[in-house]
Amino acid sequence: MDALIFPLSTLAIIVCLGALLHLQFGQAGIVNFGVVGFSGLGMYLTAILVIEAEQPFGLALVIATVVTGLVAAALGWLILDLDNEAVLVATLAFATIVWHLSTTEDQLTGGVVGLGTVPLPFDLGDYRATTLAYLGVLVAIAAALVLYARQVSRVPYGRLIRSIQDNEPLARSLGKPTFRHKVVFFAVTCALMGTIGGLDAAVQQFLVPRLLLADTTFVVWIALILGGRTRVLGAFFGALLTVGLFDIVVEQYVEVPREYSLLLPDLQLMAFGMVLMLVILFRPAGLLGDGRKRRAPGAAKGASA
Amino acid sequence: MSAAPTRTDSTPPAALPARTGEPVLTLTDVTKRYGGRTVVDVPRLELGRHGIEGLIGPNGAGKTTLMKLVTQAVAPTTGTVVHHAADGGERRLSGMSADAVARMGVVKSNQVIQDFDSLTIRESMLLALAASRRERFFSLFGERAFRRESEATIDTYLERFGFADPDGHAGSAGEKKLLDIVRCLLLRPSFLLLDEPTAGLPQAETDKVMELVRERTAAGEMSVLIIEHDLDLIWDTCAHVHFMAEGQVVLQGTPAEVRADATLAEKYLGTSHV
Ligand SMILES: Nc1ncnc2c1ncn2[C@@H]1O[C@H](COP(=O)(O)OP(=O)(O)OP(=O)(O)O)[C@@H](O)[C@H]1O
Ligand SMILES: [Mg+2]
Repeated sequence: MDALIFPLSTLAIIVCLGALLHLQFGQAGIVNFGVVGFSGLGMYLTAILVIEAEQPFGLALVIATVVTGLVAAALGWLILDLDNEAVLVATLAFATIVWHLSTTEDQLTGGVVGLGTVPLPFDLGDYRATTLAYLGVLVAIAAALVLYARQVSRVPYGRLIRSIQDNEPLARSLGKPTFRHKVVFFAVTCALMGTIGGLDAAVQQFLVPRLLLADTTFVVWIALILGGRTRVLGAFFGALLTVGLFDIVVEQYVEVPREYSLLLPDLQLMAFGMVLMLVILFRPAGLLGDGRKRRAPGAAKGASA
Repeated sequence: MSAAPTRTDSTPPAALPARTGEPVLTLTDVTKRYGGRTVVDVPRLELGRHGIEGLIGPNGAGKTTLMKLVTQAVAPTTGTVVHHAADGGERRLSGMSADAVARMGVVKSNQVIQDFDSLTIRESMLLALAASRRERFFSLFGERAFRRESEATIDTYLERFGFADPDGHAGSAGEKKLLDIVRCLLLRPSFLLLDEPTAGLPQAETDKVMELVRERTAAGEMSVLIIEHDLDLIWDTCAHVHFMAEGQVVLQGTPAEVRADATLAEKYLGTSHV
């Protein structure tokens, strides 16, 4: 059981980031390919404030969130009226810059040597109880994000961001300030990615630049696309089937011969890539499908008539 | 092309009927160039003086582009568009964002079908009705109250127009076109630009749309500019008609005057209607 706390915490982090990516990409249509840039910025800022500046964890987390949000607002203001390809490349480039800074700014980040140790923000006396409680906090936050995504999709703001994804010029012609909405929504959701990264710092405890590589972004994207990008629970199911299956079931319970265990991460990424291709080919709306379209019987028939 | 004899109308001929009101929009030296080609060139044009006005002209004359220059969906190459509000205030639309123009009450329907694929007909109407104070990322509640408030308004449209299933997606091209116009009407514009509202609509729906437009205009709630190739509708509905050819407004006047003018016969009816 103890051995499961760390992978389950990682899984909860992926679900949180996936719910935020669902909001950005699934609801508003913003192609953020720099997820790890924002979570990584939050992660390192939190750790630096806690370790180097000796600030309490809560304050560090708030500052990291706000700074990540401001950086995202500035980036969003620059790129969000460009087309999807440009947004994809720019966010990917942003994440690469954050990774690069984590290696070069080594007085602050420890560079490739690493930065540690980030303590858990509370201590229940018993290490096992503390990590378990922290896992509980992460699960609660994941649930809150999923509930937010579900609720927002049912109110005027949700219709607004979906209308921006569907047809931005049309939304603008109805008087909706679409650019401002996109920048604000992007900044807020990226700020929360920063929060999640900050919380992840206490899970990882020892930070190395490798954590900021694009792997995290890919894993979150694959989970979301696999589950269904327009579905609130899409990232949750996708994460269970990818990270859950590999990092928990295979790594914990399947006997892998020693000589193959080093290959496992590569095999995992290859398998993810394969699954992603199959989903895009055969079930482009993801395993959960596109709930909205199904609610309108005859819509597909009517459109082709 | 420029050798063709045209009667440019920087000042309308004296034979016009008594002016019924102040203009809502004034365009001055408005041009639009794509590459080296000038597709709109309007030294001066006043719109909204006559309740319902028509904008006619052959394909490619620049009618749609002219409307988009007004709503700032397309940025003018040169020139200014000024909006005269009912309270006497003046605002320059040129340089504003398209959404700010719509919020000023200047709204355009689309010639080419436009829709929100993930919104049902009712959701689309709710989107048009939602005030900006409801559209904030932290406004998570109040949907039920909002639906209750909007119900009466939405129902009047649903009763009036023929939508197969308001809680489904707009299916046919006709439904999408109708929904596009209804969204515009829900915004309660003070100046409505209709770009070929009848194209793709069944006759019965066209009649209902035009009836509602006439009612609202007669009540003084809005002025309207209509682009139409169905000239009978133009002659019947409009108090004033602007005729465009090759990017320029070459003729304006009452339907009777425009109909009788040789320029129209030569440049439009002569080519496509006889
Ligand atoms: N985005 C664009 N880029 C280049 N040329 C354009 C663009 N939009 C319009 N044009 C050109 O401008 C001219 C005017 O087009 P516009 O759509 O305004 O005509 P229209 O009078 O509305 O015609 P129709 O009656 O066919 O709708 C056309 O020759 C068209 O090809
Ligand atoms: Mg046109």
